[in-house]
Amino acid sequence: MAIHRPAVGIVGQTLTEKILSRKVGHSVQPGEVIFPEPDLIVIHDWYAANAGRVLKQFGVERLHHPDRVMFVTDHEPVAVSAEAASRQREIREIAKAFSIGHFFDVGRGGHGHLFPVQAGFVKPGMFIEAYDTHVPNYGSVGALGIPLLNEIVEVMAVGSAWIRVPATVRIHLTGRLSDGVLIRDFAQKLIADLDAEVVNYSVVEFAGPALENVSVDARFTLCNTPLEIGAKSVLVEPDAVTAEYLRDRVQGDVELIRSDTNAAFAFVSSYDLSSLEPQVALPPMPDKVVPISAVAGTPINHAFVGSCASGSLADMRDAARFVKGRKIHSAVRCFITPGTQEIFRQAMAEGLIDIFASAGAIITAPGCGPCAGGKIGSLGVGEVSINTGTRNDYGRLGARDAQIYLASPASVAAAAVTGCIVDPRELS
Amino acid sequence: MIDASPFVSRGRCWRFGDNVCNDGDMVPFHFVIAREQRPEVLKDHSMTGLDPDFPKKARAGDIVVAGRRFAHGNAHIQAFIALKGLGLSVAVESIPRGSLRNAVNAGVLILPACNDITSEVETGDELEIDFATGRATNFTRRWERIYPTLPTALLDIIRRGGWEQNFRARLARGGITR
Repeated sequence: MAIHRPAVGIVGQTLTEKILSRKVGHSVQPGEVIFPEPDLIVIHDWYAANAGRVLKQFGVERLHHPDRVMFVTDHEPVAVSAEAASRQREIREIAKAFSIGHFFDVGRGGHGHLFPVQAGFVKPGMFIEAYDTHVPNYGSVGALGIPLLNEIVEVMAVGSAWIRVPATVRIHLTGRLSDGVLIRDFAQKLIADLDAEVVNYSVVEFAGPALENVSVDARFTLCNTPLEIGAKSVLVEPDAVTAEYLRDRVQGDVELIRSDTNAAFAFVSSYDLSSLEPQVALPPMPDKVVPISAVAGTPINHAFVGSCASGSLADMRDAARFVKGRKIHSAVRCFITPGTQEIFRQAMAEGLIDIFASAGAIITAPGCGPCAGGKIGSLGVGEVSINTGTRNDYGRLGARDAQIYLASPASVAAAAVTGCIVDPRELS
Repeated sequence: MIDASPFVSRGRCWRFGDNVCNDGDMVPFHFVIAREQRPEVLKDHSMTGLDPDFPKKARAGDIVVAGRRFAHGNAHIQAFIALKGLGLSVAVESIPRGSLRNAVNAGVLILPACNDITSEVETGDELEIDFATGRATNFTRRWERIYPTLPTALLDIIRRGGWEQNFRARLARGGITR
């Protein structure tokens, strides 16, 4: 555990330190243990029933701030067993018993890492905790999301749990992605490059002029992928893009809170997005990344676009562009999961769903899709998938020996219509 | 020397190297899958991936000393519940964040950043560590070192017994409980 002390002289604060300092009422230092109260607590459907049982086991009858708790239904919105349906019923009872402030049941809302941002629940400077590793998606609009496991019930009951103030790794972005190369390609390349020991327990913060051309949809991806090498959280410095995105979504002022220019960063690095080519993560590690040319020609059986990493409307558009006017290859089954009900509706309005359905792809219910452990759209023995999920460990989508490649929505769509891994720029 | 501090351990050293894996090395994976969380069950399987007889040889008060990235991999708490069941404490060169959290939540005393300690001990050395001050003494090799400690707030959680006991104490103090 590195405990960083500011150097002699005037040292400013990182965005993370500012957010946490406001929460606890004093100026925090990296390494310090604090008990900050989150503005929002998000509980996903696979854990909500457990949370209810643990609360009862500890004799908790009322929550500290039930109005700040949100239940979302995304991992298994379409119950695929009687047990899952019973669990959904139990969750409804728990939501009622504990007066949960925001309950988004089956078909309402959608992915808990996407729709709270889309629906205006999240603003820059907020502090959010959730029982799920991908909570840093909220960093897309400058909110600090920290994952907790069992201690999330402690937060629900008494308002907080301990965290250590993380140090910040700052990534400065310049340049602009070339056509057919997406932010997912950069995010994968980044986690392959970064030293996991440096990132461990740190917040990765993105800043720099390149962000002018990186939409909030793309920022979801940027904030999602670094988790896979141990980042505590991820933030994109709020800017004009953030303000524009939130203008009609949130009430009240949006404060573009940022790191001070003289803040103490644990590590600083710079990337030019211009020179990048599409990247693919090889099985079984998200950070085992190669340029797509290294695996071009690999035959696939399964393709999937969606997940909290790549389930936005922009991701749907990026995939549809390569599917339009083509058919899914006869050896491939292709699944498309819009992240939220709203993304589904917009994708329909724009004609994207028509493109996917005409090509022979399956459109699943909004939420996590196959990425949630392969409950739907799983892989069989010996099969090969290319998809936009978060992880590619053996067994992640079913059969232990199935091979999973991770790539951008463009690369996945290009492979789905070609039948093998291919550089999407060859199709456009 | 008699020391009544709840933060002092005195016992034999059990030395392990770098990259001790959470699942497999520290606890058999099937207990993780089964979500077994009883210390009395897990203690008989502690560290058996590296030393099958470890649970029979280790005694309460003994100290596990290991190198970098102790308990790396998926941070399942069973690895530390097993150590707690044997009454052991831990001094390591480094530990990933999830596993440090598990050590605290399981109520295991730990020094998380003992630079180069594995080159200064052997299994069987007589050690004493004060986890509140960071003072470590090797009586066998006659040295004393000061290492960085956990913050006081985490030592308090460990002193109470871990996450569950700490949560109950917080509920009793201010939470709404039956």
